[in-house]
Formats: sequence, C-alpha cells, structure tokens
Amino acid sequence: MIGEEVVDLLDGEARVVERLPPLVHNADGPSAASGPLARQGQAAAARFAADWLAALGVTGGLVLVVGGDFGNAGGAPGASTYLMVDELARAVFVSLGTEQAGLPPSVVKLGGGQTRLVELLEEQLAHREQRRVPSVDLDPAWVVPLSNAHSHERVCEALATLGNGAAALRGAREEDGPGTVPMFLVNGIYAADGHLLPAPVWTDLDVRNRRSRRVEHRWLDLRTGVLLRLANDETALRTVRFVSVAARHAMALRAEGSPGAIGPGHTPGPSAPEIPLVEQTLGDGTDLARTGTDAPVAVAFRDEVVEGEDRHVVERLAAWAACPDGPVDPEQADERLTEIRHRGFDRLLAEHRAAWAKRWADAEVTIEGDRRSELAARFAVFHLLSAATDTGEAAVGARGLTGEAYNGHVFWDADVFVLPAVAAIRPSAARAMLEYRLRRLPAARALARQRGQIGARFPWESAGDGTDVTPRFVRGRQHQIVPITTGLHEEHIVADVAWAADHYARWTGDAAFLHGPGRDLVVETARYWAGRVRLNRDGRGHIYGAEGPDEYHEVVDDNAYTNVMARWNLRRGADLLAGSEDLDGEADEWRALADTLVDGWDPSRGLYEQFAGYFDLEPLLVAQVAPPPMVADVLLGARRVAGSQIIKQVDTMLLHHLVPNEVIPGSLEAGIAFYEPRTAHGSSLSPAISASLLARAGQPDRALELFRLAAFIDLDDLTGTTAGGLHLAAMGGLWQALAWGFLGMAAEGDTLAICPRLPAAWSSLSLRCVFRGRSIRVRAQHDRVSVDCSDDLLVRIGQGRPRRCGPPGLTAPLEELSLEGARS
Amino acid sequence: MSTVLATLDENTVAEPVLETALRCGQLFGSDVGALHVCRHPGVPHATMASLAERSGVPLRVVSGPVVATLLESLAGPEIVTGVLGARARGEGRDPVGHVAAQILERIAKPVVIVPPDRNVPGRIRRLLVPLEGTEASSRPVTEWLLPRIEEDVELVVVHAFTGVTRPGMLDRPEYDWSLLGDEFLARHFPGATHVELASGPAARRITEASISCQADLVVMSWAQDTSEGRAKTLRAVLRTSSLPVLLLPRTPAEASGPPVAHSVT
Repeated sequence: MIGEEVVDLLDGEARVVERLPPLVHNADGPSAASGPLARQGQAAAARFAADWLAALGVTGGLVLVVGGDFGNAGGAPGASTYLMVDELARAVFVSLGTEQAGLPPSVVKLGGGQTRLVELLEEQLAHREQRRVPSVDLDPAWVVPLSNAHSHERVCEALATLGNGAAALRGAREEDGPGTVPMFLVNGIYAADGHLLPAPVWTDLDVRNRRSRRVEHRWLDLRTGVLLRLANDETALRTVRFVSVAARHAMALRAEGSPGAIGPGHTPGPSAPEIPLVEQTLGDGTDLARTGTDAPVAVAFRDEVVEGEDRHVVERLAAWAACPDGPVDPEQADERLTEIRHRGFDRLLAEHRAAWAKRWADAEVTIEGDRRSELAARFAVFHLLSAATDTGEAAVGARGLTGEAYNGHVFWDADVFVLPAVAAIRPSAARAMLEYRLRRLPAARALARQRGQIGARFPWESAGDGTDVTPRFVRGRQHQIVPITTGLHEEHIVADVAWAADHYARWTGDAAFLHGPGRDLVVETARYWAGRVRLNRDGRGHIYGAEGPDEYHEVVDDNAYTNVMARWNLRRGADLLAGSEDLDGEADEWRALADTLVDGWDPSRGLYEQFAGYFDLEPLLVAQVAPPPMVADVLLGARRVAGSQIIKQVDTMLLHHLVPNEVIPGSLEAGIAFYEPRTAHGSSLSPAISASLLARAGQPDRALELFRLAAFIDLDDLTGTTAGGLHLAAMGGLWQALAWGFLGMAAEGDTLAICPRLPAAWSSLSLRCVFRGRSIRVRAQHDRVSVDCSDDLLVRIGQGRPRRCGPPGLTAPLEELSLEGARS
Repeated sequence: MSTVLATLDENTVAEPVLETALRCGQLFGSDVGALHVCRHPGVPHATMASLAERSGVPLRVVSGPVVATLLESLAGPEIVTGVLGARARGEGRDPVGHVAAQILERIAKPVVIVPPDRNVPGRIRRLLVPLEGTEASSRPVTEWLLPRIEEDVELVVVHAFTGVTRPGMLDRPEYDWSLLGDEFLARHFPGATHVELASGPAARRITEASISCQADLVVMSWAQDTSEGRAKTLRAVLRTSSLPVLLLPRTPAEASGPPVAHSVT
C-alpha cells in the first residue's frame, strides 16, 4: 500500500489495483493527523489492509509494514505503532523514520525515508526477477511441520499431498527415489485392472551435496496449499510447490540453492516400474510424458533455470491432461502448459493463494483452548477440500488421491463420511461426488440384475466403470484362501448412496437435484430393497444374510443398521414417487413394506439389537481385552470375536447419527451406554462418529477423547497404513463430530438447528460453512452462541423456535438456550 | 579373504556344525575352516579329523581353556562368523549349552548356533529374519547381512506385533495387512522379499513361520544381554528351533536405542 492505493508488483511493474475506502482523517489529510481519530484511522487502515490481503491468501508473515514513527515521542507511542494490529501478527515491521527512542522490539529500524522505501520495493521486484522461492507464512495455527525421520518418510508424503480434487501430488522430496513413493494421481483415471493409474511424476530435481536431512525443515501450509522445504546447510536448498486450486490443470515448483546444489532432473515417471511410460522432449524444451497402457494421462512441464553467482534457481511449470476412456491427446497438456507459462509462476501462486482463501472462507475451523486439535481439524478440512473436484464427477476413494492404498476404490466412506462434510464446506464438490454415483447407476442396475434383484445395487467397491471390484478372497498366512464377504453382503451401501443424495439436497437446498437427476439414486435403491426384503409368515419383513458396518460379525440376519437404512430408503423413495400416477401403487407398497421391517428394537431392554441373536453372544467388553482402539480380531482371533459382543465400529448407533428420525426418541443415551463399552474402534471410521453421538448425548468431555483419537489417525499414523494414503472418512467424520456433535447443527427443512455441547477444555468452537446457499459462521462458547450469515436464514437454537437471522447475524446468550432433550 | 569357522567338539553335533559351516561359507562367499579346542595338548578325535578331511575343511587343533581359546580364535579378522553346536535342548537359561552361552555373551561378531537334531539342507536359499520393529533390531541385519549375501537368497521377515507396533485400527484387513507389511519392510528391512505379520508369542510365531516358509536359517539380532527377563524370545527360539540360528550382535548404542515411535508431527 502506498498512501491510499494498493499497488500490485506481480508483473514486474507497479499497478494500482485497489483504493482504500475513505478513512478517518481531518481536513488537512492523514499526514497531518496526530490525534486519536487519526490513530484510529491508522489502525482501521491496517485492519482493512490485513483483511484485504487475507482474502488474497496473504497473511501476517508475508506482509511488510513500513512506517515512519514507531518510537515513543513525548511518552506516547508513535503514530505508526497503530499499524501493529492483531491481524498483522507475524508481519515484518520496518521503520524508515528518524526514530529517537522507544522503538518496539519487533520493529526493524532502517531509516532512509522515502528513498529507502523505493529501495525496498525495488528489492521486492528484484526477488521476482531472480525467481526467488517465495516465503510462506509459518503460522503455527496453519502449518503442519513434517518429520525428517526416515521411518516416517512415506507417511509424510501422504500427509503433505497437495491436490485440487482433480489431481494430486504426494509430498515426496524432489530427489526422492527408492524407499519413497513419489506419486501424481488424477481423479477417475484407473488402469485396466481397476487400480488408480500413477501419472508421470513431474517434480524430480537433481539435488546434490545433501549430507543429511536432519538439517532440513518441511512445512505443509494448510492456509495456502503449498509445501515449503528449507535446508540449513551449505546447499541453502529451498523449494516450494503447489497444485493450483485456481487453475485446474496447473502445477508449479520453484527451487533454489547454492550453485551446483540443484539442477533440473529429467526422469519423470510413475513410481511403479511396470507402468508403461512414454517420454518425449519437444523442440521448445518442453518435456512431455504419458503413462498407462492406453496412455490416458499426460503431463507437460518446462523449466526455467536462473544461474546467478551465488544462487541457482529452477522454476518448473507443469500441466496435465487426461482422458479416462483412452489415449489422451498430449498436445492438450502442451497447450495448457503454454497458457500456464503465459500466466507465470508468481501470478499462478497469487491466484492459488486467493483461491484457497476463498475456500477457507466457507470452511474455517477455530477451536479456542485446544490449538493441537484445531490444527488437526484444519488438516482434515484441508484434505477434504482437496479430495473432490467441483465440476463433472468426483470419484473419492477411501484414501482419496493421497496414495495408492485401496486402489483408489470408492466405498461407502465417500457417501456417509466424506460427502456430508463436503456438502457443507464446498457444495459443488459434493454434487460432483453424487455425479459419480449417478453416472454409475446403469452398472448398479446391472449388478442388481446379476444378483437376481431389481433396482440398483451399488457395489461395495467401485472404480472407473462402476462395476463391482471388491476382491473376493485374500491369501492367508498359510497361503490358504480367505473369503472376503463384504462384496456380496455389505449391502447397506445401497441405502448409504441414497442417503447421501438426500442429505446433500436437505443441506444445500438443491431440491432440483433430488427431484431431477438425483431422484433415481433414491428411487432405484428403494426398488432394490423392495425386492430384497423377505416377508415372513408373521408378516414381518427381514433382510437375511447381510453384513453391517461391524465386520467382526460378518454375515448376519436382520442387521439393524441395514434394515433401518433400508426402511428409510423405502420411505424416502416412496416420497419421491408421490405424484407419479403410474408409480403411486409402488410407493404405497414400499411404505407398507417399510413398516413391516424388523429393526431390532427390544422394548424390554430399551435397546436396538445389532442383529438377530447378538444379545445372546458372549458379553465381552473391550476394557476386558485392551484399551481402545484395538484390533480385537487380531488380539483374540476372528472366531472368538465373532462369538462375542465386541464390535469393530459403531453400527447400530450410526442410525442415531444418520437417520435420527428413524429411531425411537430417547434411545440415544441407552444405546451409547450399552454399545460404547463394546466398541473396539478398530476402524478409523468409528471414533469420530462416537464423539459426535457422545457430544449430542451431553457427554462432550468423553466425546473429546474420541475426537482427539480420530483427529490424529493420520498425523500420528495410528493405523500404520497412512503411508498408503490418508483416511478421508475419518476426516469427514471429524468434521461431522464438530458440526453435528459439538455444535449440534442439523438441517430441519429451511431451518438450521444448533444445539452446542462444548467440552470443558474448549473455550469456543467456530465453524464456517455453507447452508442452503448462505455462507454462515457458527461460534459457540460456553455461555453463548453466535451465528453470522451472508443472507437471511432461519435458525433454531436449542429447543427454541426458529428465528430469522439476517446479516450480519445474531448472538444468543446461554440462558436463552433450552438444551433439554437433545435430539436423539 | 573371509572364513566361516566351524568349532567342533567331540559330540554328535560336530557333523551338522561342519555341514552348516559349509553352507554358510556358500552363503557368504567365504572359505570354511574348522577348529577344535583341547583342554590339554593331544591329538583330535579320529572321527572329527576324518570328518574334516572328508569335507575338505582344514582342521586346526589348539589347546587351552575352551571359552577363552575359542573367543581368541573367533576374534581373528578373517573370521566372518563362527558356527557352534548347541549341546542340548535344555530348559534352563542356557538352551545352547554352557560353552556356547558364554561365547554368545562375549563375542562381538555373528555366530551360528546349530541345534543337535539339525538336518542340513543342500544350500541355504531362504532366510527367516524375525524383527522387533525397532531400528536396533533391524540395523545389524541390513548393515551386516545384506551386503554379504547374493540377491537370489530369499529374505522372509516375521514380526510379532508388540504394544508399540500393533496397529490400533484395521479398516479393511484384505488391504491393510498388505499395506502394513509393505510399510514395515520399508521402515525396517527394505531388502526383504516378504513379511509375515502376526500376533501372539513371538517365539512361537517365529517357529511357525520357519516351518511355513520352509526357511533354511533363522537370523536374529540381539543385545547380548542375558540378564533375567531379557532375550526371552531368543532363548525360546534356540530351545525350539530345528534350524540353525544366526545371531547378530547389536552394538551397545544400537541396543539401547529407543523404538521407533509413531508420532509424526
């Protein structure tokens, strides 16, 4: 900012891009002002500038604040000290004035007045001309430091994956080779065998003279989606990279180091040597690489090398192109690269930062009193925002694009765990996730027919074409065949897909989707259940031979989760058929059938029985074996666990989370009391959902323990498998625990219900998201709730009546809240 | 030049010891020598001499206190490893016998212990390497063993979960076992062919794995700490294994190193 003008230096020349609004200053202008009003004006200007920059993704640590009088003058702080506002914490403050005394310790005294100011600006321009690696605001609330331990190499690669939903790059070092898994993946690009196809890795650099990685630091900056690497040795190595969220096909890497320390490496390729790779160098120096038998994905990249006397810089811009159905035209990648090069690294980075700032404006999580959990929650949201593209279709595998684990296959994780979070923080991406299901309806119909059923039967695991790619067996330790039952029996995914479509519509208000293209996701799945349910002579409907989420008890009869979700699916499908004259009869049949379905409710116990015969099993508790989380089947053996009441993950209780209106009111607390001591949390999907339920049941401190367990599944590699990719479902569950559990948020038609339950360790919890097209921020403290909204909104707090909330929002003190009878 | 030194005694183990030494010589690309220690000067037992002659292995006979003399001979710079016979399958603290136990505790280089009922294979092709999931247990294997063997030798790792290494969660066992195994090898023994992960008593799992994978030799590193309560797994393996066991000593610093923690950030 110079005076009241914001000047952009991005393109190597000064360009005014913004004028500050008129601020408080007297008739003689701000330079003559020295009174309280002028000081307020200084602070207001600083705040305005800080907010304006933050909206561009430029925060404190990236800001240079120049003033003339920071020092004490006559016992009063200098006027420039009013620029030192909280919003500019971590900024570099420089005084160019003739300071006499009392300079605040954080201010650097340079002197030199306007001449020095011009020099400073010229230095900034010179940095750009030399293509120096840009700085990152190392705000501890937003950066994840990565370990240098050899044993965690691959885990950190997964943690530091950068993606935009359409493509993602693991955080391997630029020179990494054996023992590491550098990987670049494109959403929806599978090999013929149903595995995600590793695309050409374009980040390879020739890094020399590195003696030890112990003197190296790496940070993942969640706020701006960049990975920074610094080496404190003679190489002075410094790299920064990003996968643009502003330009879908653009990627960039810039590296600098002492002469001889770095150079362009030219070995692009997938991490797996068996993947075919075709490389060529075009006449203009652009490298072009394609992978896969049918070469469905191509990457074009080009280097600019600046060799200074004391520093060499390699700047690499890259573009990708893909075609899921066959060979990609490599010229497409080359053309995109040309466009990207025209924009240049600095502009791409600026646009990328601004795009991330925009994303966070609807997704930020703030937890006061628990910075560690806050960072973990932001880490989860970062990867949720990176998991799905917001146009076309998004196949969100269990590990997203952060690794090859699970082959990139799509499970119910996407529908029940990831989608609800994404629907709230990036609705367009949730719509793309549903588009993935929609386009695979024909395959789901075919699978139903293949299994002698009607309707649509979504497979437990799917990849590119939507057919069932669930493995049928695995080799055991003695090389014996061990059958895998999930593909044939874990049918609840059929209802889970329908639920996701309905939830998306309820949360976002996109009714046109549910009554338009999304209708078949609910109707065809309902039709599947209509054929699948067996009516007994007693007139009750049963689902025999199904497997619930608790996979310790593999194939059971009348799994409560499956049956109740099927009941919900039948009823919701019937609702959507209403008004279709020719289908009204079918709708009536579905409703009637739904009413007959056994749901496991045992009134004498006040509990749902997880499946027929569950209560007769050995009443073993988790605490009798080991503290959770535990892999009970490994500790006790699969047969022993199957004969006991120990369950792998929340099963019946998940109904209270997903379809609370389908369960008996008031049954939540008794269900928790019974099932929680029996839940091993031996699945990463489990602890966050339990945390959410516990919070809703008025036990937020117990909920916090499980929340923290879920929050660090990947950051602490609790499963030992994070190296293969991040557990996106756990991340989605974590967001749900924050929103649905601790804040008690729920969509009730047009009304946003809020019923907060904060743990004692948190002084406040704040979430930003989008509800029915409105950007909202809900902040709960122990004594009040406040809601900010971008447009009129109906809000119901506690058990109160819905009230209209218009911009800027409302605050309700605790005494107004009626929290009795939390939703169950 | 390197030599595998077979230490022969006047007992029934002498033959399998010599045969195992010959196989280890093939494995490490080393010469093989034999040594017999007499308490008093004299001539070696005729059977032992003919055994060595028949195998084409030079036999050296020295006299002196057995343990000290063996240690001195094994300390020679050309000796890559010693091969000792386990006298019996005792249930006590020294399942390998008194002399071998003293050697193991004090020697600074690898030693192969041959059980009395050993059936010698034609060639050592498959090694079973039990690892604890610590850097201390893996380092001797990666640094000492790997450079000495040919690439076509199969290295099968077995790991019995400990409280530190046991995962808390397994979402989809059909995928996760393989992921866990791959990551275990990447962290602890990237040169291995295959890993078997198991839970339960480590010694029993090692013995089971040695049978199921048809191993020819078990390779274990140890801290040479024989105090009460230590080296329980090793003792149990030596007590029950029908395979020779190559013991790799850890340096004191390695032995005292902490287990690799899971914490990343």
